[in-house]
Amino acid sequence: MALAVAERVTFTYPEGERPALDDVWLSIEPGEFVALLGASGSGKSTLLRAFAGLVPHFHGGRFVGRVSVGGRDTRVGRPSELAGMVATLFQEPEDQVVLTRVDAEVAFGLENIGVPPADIGPRARAALAAIGAEHLVGREVAELSGGELQRVCLASALALEPRLLLLDEPSSQLDRDAAEALFDHARAHGCAVVVAEQRPELPLEHADRVVFLRNGRIVDGPPAAWTEQPERQVTPCHLGEEVVRLESVSFAYPGGPPVLVDESLVLHRNEVVVLVGPNGVGKTTLAKLATGLLAPGAGRVVRFGRAAYLPQDPGRYLVTETVFDEIALAAGTRRARRALVELGLEPLARRHPRDLSSGERERLAVGAVMAVDPDLLVLDEPTRGVDPERKRELAEVLRAQSHGRATLVVTHDRMLATAVADRIVALGSEAVLV
Amino acid sequence: MSAVPAAALLAALALAALIAHSVWAVAAVALALLVPCLRAPRRRLYLGGIAFSALALFVLTPWLEDDGAHPFWHGPIVPVIGELTVTREELSSAGLAALRLAAVGLAFAVYALRLDHDRLFGSAGWARRSSLAVALATRLVPTLERDAAGLVEALRGRGLAVEGVRARARLLSPLLAGSLERGLNLAEAMEARGYGRAGRTRVPPPPWSRVDKLALVAAPLIAIGALWL
Repeated sequence: MALAVAERVTFTYPEGERPALDDVWLSIEPGEFVALLGASGSGKSTLLRAFAGLVPHFHGGRFVGRVSVGGRDTRVGRPSELAGMVATLFQEPEDQVVLTRVDAEVAFGLENIGVPPADIGPRARAALAAIGAEHLVGREVAELSGGELQRVCLASALALEPRLLLLDEPSSQLDRDAAEALFDHARAHGCAVVVAEQRPELPLEHADRVVFLRNGRIVDGPPAAWTEQPERQVTPCHLGEEVVRLESVSFAYPGGPPVLVDESLVLHRNEVVVLVGPNGVGKTTLAKLATGLLAPGAGRVVRFGRAAYLPQDPGRYLVTETVFDEIALAAGTRRARRALVELGLEPLARRHPRDLSSGERERLAVGAVMAVDPDLLVLDEPTRGVDPERKRELAEVLRAQSHGRATLVVTHDRMLATAVADRIVALGSEAVLV
Repeated sequence: MSAVPAAALLAALALAALIAHSVWAVAAVALALLVPCLRAPRRRLYLGGIAFSALALFVLTPWLEDDGAHPFWHGPIVPVIGELTVTREELSSAGLAALRLAAVGLAFAVYALRLDHDRLFGSAGWARRSSLAVALATRLVPTLERDAAGLVEALRGRGLAVEGVRARARLLSPLLAGSLERGLNLAEAMEARGYGRAGRTRVPPPPWSRVDKLALVAAPLIAIGALWL
């Protein structure tokens, strides 16, 4: 008997113009690992929320059809009553942390579902140990890196011992090893797993079944862009003059251990360099040193020309009232118009940035940085929440605009790295060369 | 030290600083609170704020008070206000007020920076919702601080300098919007994790040590003892 079933589900958000889910039929068997793929805004997160009962209870809107989990209709009772049977890991780990210390955070859900007090501590510690995060017990969540925080959130979900685990883009902040470990832990737990992802490589390797959503409907199989590796750019670039030179730089944040020790890097005009390495190895710090946002503790950074930097999770840092104004803020109106066309954002020009989907926000932030036409362009994880088709478009734009500037891309995304890199630089132990 | 005895001790020290009349006693309380504060991470903002406020109070108080018979300094005659003078009594009063403010500020800083809020508010099992709201509000300040730093960095990354009151005021709207978005996401995650469901249990608090018990006994004694200082 199926563990979870969605029958002819059609759902429209309160302000939605079209259904986010449109006549969806899907059943999940116990212990099954299902990969839910689809472009940004295709309805993946909404379907996960329907299985968690959050749609329609939390979001409101118009809901037709039936979703049941473990034989319980999700429309009957609050989503909190499904907790324990269902556990969800949301996209943004920072937005789901309630308490200040790791052990209390993992125990929070166990307390809510009424686990006997004597069992709460051992279950919380066992969940942290299961994902190799027992060393985080007692730490403050504010001190953790994105990857560590994601593991704490996964431990919080696994501690509930759910029968259905819903993962919404869980690998967006993780390097490949950490993402693989996360999927292995989820799988080893024995519960059914539904994982919504825009980086399809890992889910495709782990999944028993792949479900592809387009415009809220389940369609047959993912398009080729989702499964095929992009062709390697074989045309060698003609290196121009130096744009930035980092000579034996070291850096430590105040009161912390050294993040970078004696690292060197030179970037030239016309080349795209991809910086890879495991979580916490100092990629972002190196990128900030290159652009001048940080000053090295030791060593020297020499820069020629204007630098621009796109931070991680840039969708959070949009400041104006319209998409057009956001791009024009630093670039001026003429360049802003051109950038809107190049990044396919023209139809969204008058929308408020916070009304966009996460993928659209990410593209907007990329556009706002590229439009300033810098000599050194640094992008830190630019493809979080961006689907493979848009990723290819971004790669094409980066390649097309690489002439005359140096581009540094920090990423865990192999698809993007393969598509854009003239050179790959590995920080830490992971040495990958294209 | 456990969270509840530590909170009781901090409250008692803050109260003692407000009650005591001896400058030396209040200075001793402030010093005692400064030590744990200096060992806390992210202390700069708190210490800077406290030092600025205490200094401002010390400088302003003599001009606003009209007290004492031992002039220390004679200033010009200002229309309406009269002659500006600073007396020894006014200086002493200003010093006491500044030290009191510093002591209370330091008690709050130690509370915010060093206490385990999860345990503290978890102890208030009878007021779970209110205590959770206070815990989340306490976390709001560092979160806003981090978001503001992220916004400034993102704008600097585009070559835009964020300087002056006007430029910083422009960040208020995105900061507020970001907080609202965060709040909604958090509420959704809490619901998905069973918050609000009947039959909630609680992690048993760890047993109190001798130091904890000593702190609980000492707290009221400090507050009462301050009446004679």
